[in-house]
Amino acid sequence: MHIPDGFLSNPMAISLNVVSAANVLYAARRTKIDLSGRMVPMMGMLAAFVFAAQMLNFPVLGGTSGHLIGGSLLSILLGPLAGSLAMTTVIVAQALFLQDGGLIALGANIFNISIVTCMSGYAIFRLLGRNAGGGKRLFLAGFLAGWFSTVISAAFCALELGLSGAIPLRIGLMTMVGYHAAVGILEGMLTAGVLNFLRKVRPDLLALEGVGKFRIPDWIGAVLFVAIPAAVLVMAGSSTLPDPLEKLLETSPLPPELGSGNIPERLASTLRLEEYLFRAAIFIVLIGLGFLAVRLTRRRRSRS
Amino acid sequence: MTDYAVRITRLNYTYPDGTKALEGIDLDVRSGEQVAIVGPSGAGKSTLLLHLNGILPGSAAVRIKGQSMDSADLRQIRKQVGLLFQDPNDQLFCPTVFEDVAFGPLNLGVPAAEIPRRVEKALLDSGLDYAIRSRSSHHLSLGERRRVSLAAVLVMEPEILGMDEPTSNLDPRNRRHLIEVVSGLKATLIIATHDLELVLDVCPRTVLMDHGKIWADGETRAMLADARLMDLHGLEVPLSLKSGTRP
Amino acid sequence: MRHSFIDRYASLDSPLHVLEARSKLLAFTALIVGVLCIPAERGSLFFIYFFAAAILMGVSQIPLTYIVGRTFLILPFIVLAGLAAPWKGGYLGLGILFIRAVLCLFLLVLLTNTTRFVELLRGLRRLGCPQILVMNLGFLYRYLFVLTEEAMRMKQARDCRRVGRARFREELKILSSMIGTLLIRSFERAERMHSAMLSRAYAGDFPVVSPRKFSLRDAAFLAGVALFITLSFWIR
Repeated sequence: MHIPDGFLSNPMAISLNVVSAANVLYAARRTKIDLSGRMVPMMGMLAAFVFAAQMLNFPVLGGTSGHLIGGSLLSILLGPLAGSLAMTTVIVAQALFLQDGGLIALGANIFNISIVTCMSGYAIFRLLGRNAGGGKRLFLAGFLAGWFSTVISAAFCALELGLSGAIPLRIGLMTMVGYHAAVGILEGMLTAGVLNFLRKVRPDLLALEGVGKFRIPDWIGAVLFVAIPAAVLVMAGSSTLPDPLEKLLETSPLPPELGSGNIPERLASTLRLEEYLFRAAIFIVLIGLGFLAVRLTRRRRSRS
Repeated sequence: MTDYAVRITRLNYTYPDGTKALEGIDLDVRSGEQVAIVGPSGAGKSTLLLHLNGILPGSAAVRIKGQSMDSADLRQIRKQVGLLFQDPNDQLFCPTVFEDVAFGPLNLGVPAAEIPRRVEKALLDSGLDYAIRSRSSHHLSLGERRRVSLAAVLVMEPEILGMDEPTSNLDPRNRRHLIEVVSGLKATLIIATHDLELVLDVCPRTVLMDHGKIWADGETRAMLADARLMDLHGLEVPLSLKSGTRP
Repeated sequence: MRHSFIDRYASLDSPLHVLEARSKLLAFTALIVGVLCIPAERGSLFFIYFFAAAILMGVSQIPLTYIVGRTFLILPFIVLAGLAAPWKGGYLGLGILFIRAVLCLFLLVLLTNTTRFVELLRGLRRLGCPQILVMNLGFLYRYLFVLTEEAMRMKQARDCRRVGRARFREELKILSSMIGTLLIRSFERAERMHSAMLSRAYAGDFPVVSPRKFSLRDAAFLAGVALFITLSFWIR
């Protein structure tokens, strides 16, 4: 889901902008160095492809229709760096062409829909799919990559909105994660289906990603990509900012007298516990992702 | 000492998946010549063209103006050898026509002040108005896109020009116009095409390719009028020769 | 099919359209940030910003119905936020949320619809956006059209060959192969494009075309916006 402007608190929006900018700059530099220009037309074309493919609708549940999101597919094919760059291009284009997603919220949307989707989808696929040799294994790995990346992306979205005070955490998680758990099934099946199709028709395209290898700096990079946002999210959600900064930046979308997180007094203490629990859970998931990234890098190195 | 623009000696090329595309190609083209390469689909015509500017590695088997491909500076080669591809959409990737045409010279390091003049000249040479420069290529007709692609190649002032099916999908008027433009070019021309009437109009010499090999190399009219040869390689004697309407 | 959803109103001729991309990018971003910094206690400021936005909307010559119609984009989020409203009597808060979001949306619509995409890209590049991102956006803009046409043609071909609705699994398979085919064609097109780029001496870096100059009009516009924002927060 693309978050419009006005729903995120300023500290949240700023920190996510910083994280996304860092990712884009780093990926830009790395793809340029590694791939000697060949990847560039590829990324642009695939960004256009994702945009176009999203117009191919699939009838779901009678009236509504769903479509491919594409983050995990892109990162499986191009690698997480080039894939997230391509996906970022799509998100910026959606904001500029369709005003789908806000301008200041761009960093948040890039983080949720590009970075999180690509990194987690890639990690899962590599862990489960290994050499992606067998058909069934490829299909399963692709499906899980697609599904999980969608769900975790929705979780981040709900978390950001909840910690900003705009949409109650509980409601956000229930609706967004719930909805995307269903939508994710379609994403998973399409991702798996397309990978399967490629395996039969153009298996060489599945080996493209080897062009942009993960190296030692990427170990650090992968962990940082994940640990920094974690720390930042936790900090931004809390009200423990240094005084002058807080005075300057602290602007929740809602008036303070209406309560933080829109929950009436008697539920406040319960929420607090929940809030911290959720934060801790997300932190753990993020660290886990970081470890995943590190492990799969090690695996690639021992393979090559 | 004859001045050879292109000398290809026993060139072989195999695709990564194992299919043989070119076998033992020998081809010498003098400066200023206009040579057509004809043959059925899959003969290897396009593959051969891609060796002219180093997109496909030809190493020592390909010499451009005496320079062997494996020791050459590719940038220099691409300044001397221009390649016009079949699909204009693949060659026009910038937001505006001006940027597409300026792409080549900018990459070659032509000073920014020089660029507008060269772009204007290239567009005019291709039969386009300079006003087209601020339009986006997706708003243009196929004929116009073809001409812009040509301009984007001509702007680099190449001495050798390779063209892949330049008249395909063009309506009669655009086709006629393109033939006029091509006829007036001073560069060494190597044109791969199915359009045999174009060959008769523009190229005194023709090379016949099939299954990655060269089967005939000689004077155009004689070759194209040879019904048996044409039939053997999946081609037909052009109508104007059959009906005797060509002078 | 044209790029109707992208440059529909971008070729109009209002005072806003004429301004350079950089000044618009900076000005509108500043205005959006300004709106986001309005503390909830100073609700009157919203009206002042709304007034300013209304002036800009009028000046831009973009149909009001279009701008207001874009509000549907934020509705799902408003609904979600509204689900909690009954518990805290926060209808006021909900209203404020709505106004903030709608204001920012209108400003974004104005920015993107008064600037041709090509100009927007140039502005972004000159404001420091990484070249690779700008180039990717350029390619996306250029090839979106081509790929969408292919996608539509495939969809038509599929529809022609269908009798009734197939089972879920069949549909999935068909859609996967359609997307897969589109993907393969995209790759092949990218390869050919790369060959074309190499043929024109592409070496990994992207050339910069001579930029349009910043005029007095742009400086005046920026100054005006800066003044407006500063005053709005200083004056009590």
